[in-house]
Amino acid sequence: MKLYRKEGNIVQILSFPNETVEKGDYLLIEDADAGKALIVQVIDVQFASIPGILEELLRSLPDGGESIQGEDFDPLEIAPHITYIQDASLLVCKIRATVENDSLTPSSSWLPSRSQSTIRKLPIPTLLKLAKIDEKLPIVLGGTKDSSLLTIDTSSLDGRLNIITGKKDTGKSHLSKLLILNMIGYKATVVVFDLNGEYLSLGMTADGKRNAYHDKIHVLTPSQNFKVALKQLNLHVLLEILIHALHLPGTSAREFRRIWQSLKERDMLNLHELGEAIRNWHCNQHVRDALFSRYYALVNSGFFTDNIAEATLLEERLSKAKEQGGAIIINLRNTSPIDRQIVVEYLLGKLVELLTSWRLKAIFLFAEEAHLYLRETYWDDIVTRMRHFGIFTTFITNQPDTIRENIYRQADNIFLFNFTNEHDLEVVSRAARVDAETVKSIARDLPPHHCLVLGKVVKDFPMVVKVKALDVKTMGETRLFFKDTN
Amino acid sequence: MQPIPLKPKHEQTIVAAVDTSSIKIGETSTGILIAVRGANVWKQKRNYRYVRLGPFVFHITEENKKEVYNALQRAYSNSPHEQNHQNSPNLQQMPTRMANLLERWLQTMLSKTISNGLILFDGSLTSGTADTPIQLMKEILETARKRSNVVLAFSKMTNLRFNGHLITDILFGHEPPYLLETAGLKTKPPIVLLGDVYVARLTNGNCAFRLDIDKEVSTQQKIGAAEKLLGNDLLSQSYPETLRLAHILCTFTANEVIAMQHFTAHTYGLKIINRPDMHRLLFGPFGKGESS
Repeated sequence: MKLYRKEGNIVQILSFPNETVEKGDYLLIEDADAGKALIVQVIDVQFASIPGILEELLRSLPDGGESIQGEDFDPLEIAPHITYIQDASLLVCKIRATVENDSLTPSSSWLPSRSQSTIRKLPIPTLLKLAKIDEKLPIVLGGTKDSSLLTIDTSSLDGRLNIITGKKDTGKSHLSKLLILNMIGYKATVVVFDLNGEYLSLGMTADGKRNAYHDKIHVLTPSQNFKVALKQLNLHVLLEILIHALHLPGTSAREFRRIWQSLKERDMLNLHELGEAIRNWHCNQHVRDALFSRYYALVNSGFFTDNIAEATLLEERLSKAKEQGGAIIINLRNTSPIDRQIVVEYLLGKLVELLTSWRLKAIFLFAEEAHLYLRETYWDDIVTRMRHFGIFTTFITNQPDTIRENIYRQADNIFLFNFTNEHDLEVVSRAARVDAETVKSIARDLPPHHCLVLGKVVKDFPMVVKVKALDVKTMGETRLFFKDTN
Repeated sequence: MQPIPLKPKHEQTIVAAVDTSSIKIGETSTGILIAVRGANVWKQKRNYRYVRLGPFVFHITEENKKEVYNALQRAYSNSPHEQNHQNSPNLQQMPTRMANLLERWLQTMLSKTISNGLILFDGSLTSGTADTPIQLMKEILETARKRSNVVLAFSKMTNLRFNGHLITDILFGHEPPYLLETAGLKTKPPIVLLGDVYVARLTNGNCAFRLDIDKEVSTQQKIGAAEKLLGNDLLSQSYPETLRLAHILCTFTANEVIAMQHFTAHTYGLKIINRPDMHRLLFGPFGKGESS
């Protein structure tokens, strides 16, 4: 390999056919005289611009588009040299860091010698060592292209905002399951908003047996084993549900507040008394109608109960998870959109309440397709306010444009699977921790189950990893019509 | 001068062509590196096929040029009368002269292997120059004739003029294809014309070429050969496709030059020297460059 040119933080390297380099690989350009080296990452592999190549190709196709038949007598065997030159490739690389005295700096302000520098592939384990990606609480994500393991440190996900994105069937949920299981292995508390019931069997092996995490996986299905009593509710949380999930107007909300306070003073906070209070409350008929319609929405959701015994599971499970680690899976699979919002509003409010009072230390929230249940104002809330309370969110989506741009800008880690759509890649490339060229060039060619890891977990050295297999029962598979006919 | 109109004859006839190419691929501290390559192309039953020889790379120095040239001349012509030990070319002429040696050999091979066909040469049938010894050219033509072949040579450039105009520039208002016979051409010794010279305008358009056809065949055979060419080969801009392919196949492209430089450096450790262009050096943008 030969250093060809450098422009900004892009380096072009001439590579010959016997040197196998692919997109995503890291190279080390060492300048022994300068005592420094550049770490660059290949973001594109192109044909080298060889003079005369067009003529060469044209003359092999002169006979109506078919190759002219013939024999070549090449006693000096020059043809392999011609092929060698013709197949030379140009590696477009992004400068990631400079190595000087075994320490890394993000600088790209110096120019290595074109004639004297040596260029070689940088194995991922060496890079991880140089980048000091330590393994205090290791999670093995999978294998890299050079058959080494990519291990990240769980603490690099702590306090962070993460995004897992990619098109359908590329392995997003698989990766999030891997992260969840490893986190609970380190006694973390994880809450999952499970839209399609994909996480319900996290505690089971592929052949249906209990796995090591079985006792730490707690599935809560709203209106079944996950209910809430009005007495447990904070008025503020209920008003959030009424206003944001059920769109209660401001005037009616004010009346509701009075009704609630009146009932609370009399220790009569239950569904029946609430209904009666609305019926008998002295207020405008329109307000009463508005309150009644929301009241019935709450009752019909089945999520609310007057039986305190039925409504203790969430806190119990969270308390258990706090002690020994665990994942609370909120099964939203058969929940209507309105009920889903009610549940999410309640849960987030409850989590903030528990975290504020230090009854919980911190939780990792995994939110699949969050745009389907998260109200507009929560996005900013999650990445700013709730983060300070100790809710560290991982968004999982196959529609990257449903996540706001400011979320991408503040994301600390992005796990990017394959996208071929330009628009999707454009959206993801707005993330602050990565350059657009890397995202667009590498993500487009990622095979299924391969993920481009960006951000703090890899110390800003983007790495491609084949996510390792998990012995977990698969759920949430798409129901197929022709599945059994083959 | 009266044009001779031509009618394509579709009687199946093999059309074969020869061309060679040479290039200087660099200079070393002691001489020059050159490469030559040749190609025979033939069309039979609608298909083109080729045999390509080379590239042959030579490192020519003042010391070895005579030995190399004479050795090749002996090997190619296999005829004692061609050995001219005094007249080895100078270094700058060597690429062309070496290519000519290869071309004569390829022409000999075609004339010995093809029968009842048309053999197309690049250039003219003018003989008696250092590149085209009369005896050798006569032998090639005679061999071809014995096997019922007709040799036709197409020149892309000519200096022959009629009334002060290049013969290929004259338009006669006649619908192509036609030949125009030139009569009374005189040459100075030792130059000899081994063919009758025509202007060939074989397709519509402005292109016409000097066409030399073996002098020793009858006029009827000459016209018949041109008509068979029309009926058996593709012609574009009055030029036969077989000859065009031969030219294309042997011409060196830039990446082949790089590959040959790579070959000489890796195989023989020859270091190519980039000599400064004195024109450019002295006259800057006003220097046209030595190569131009």
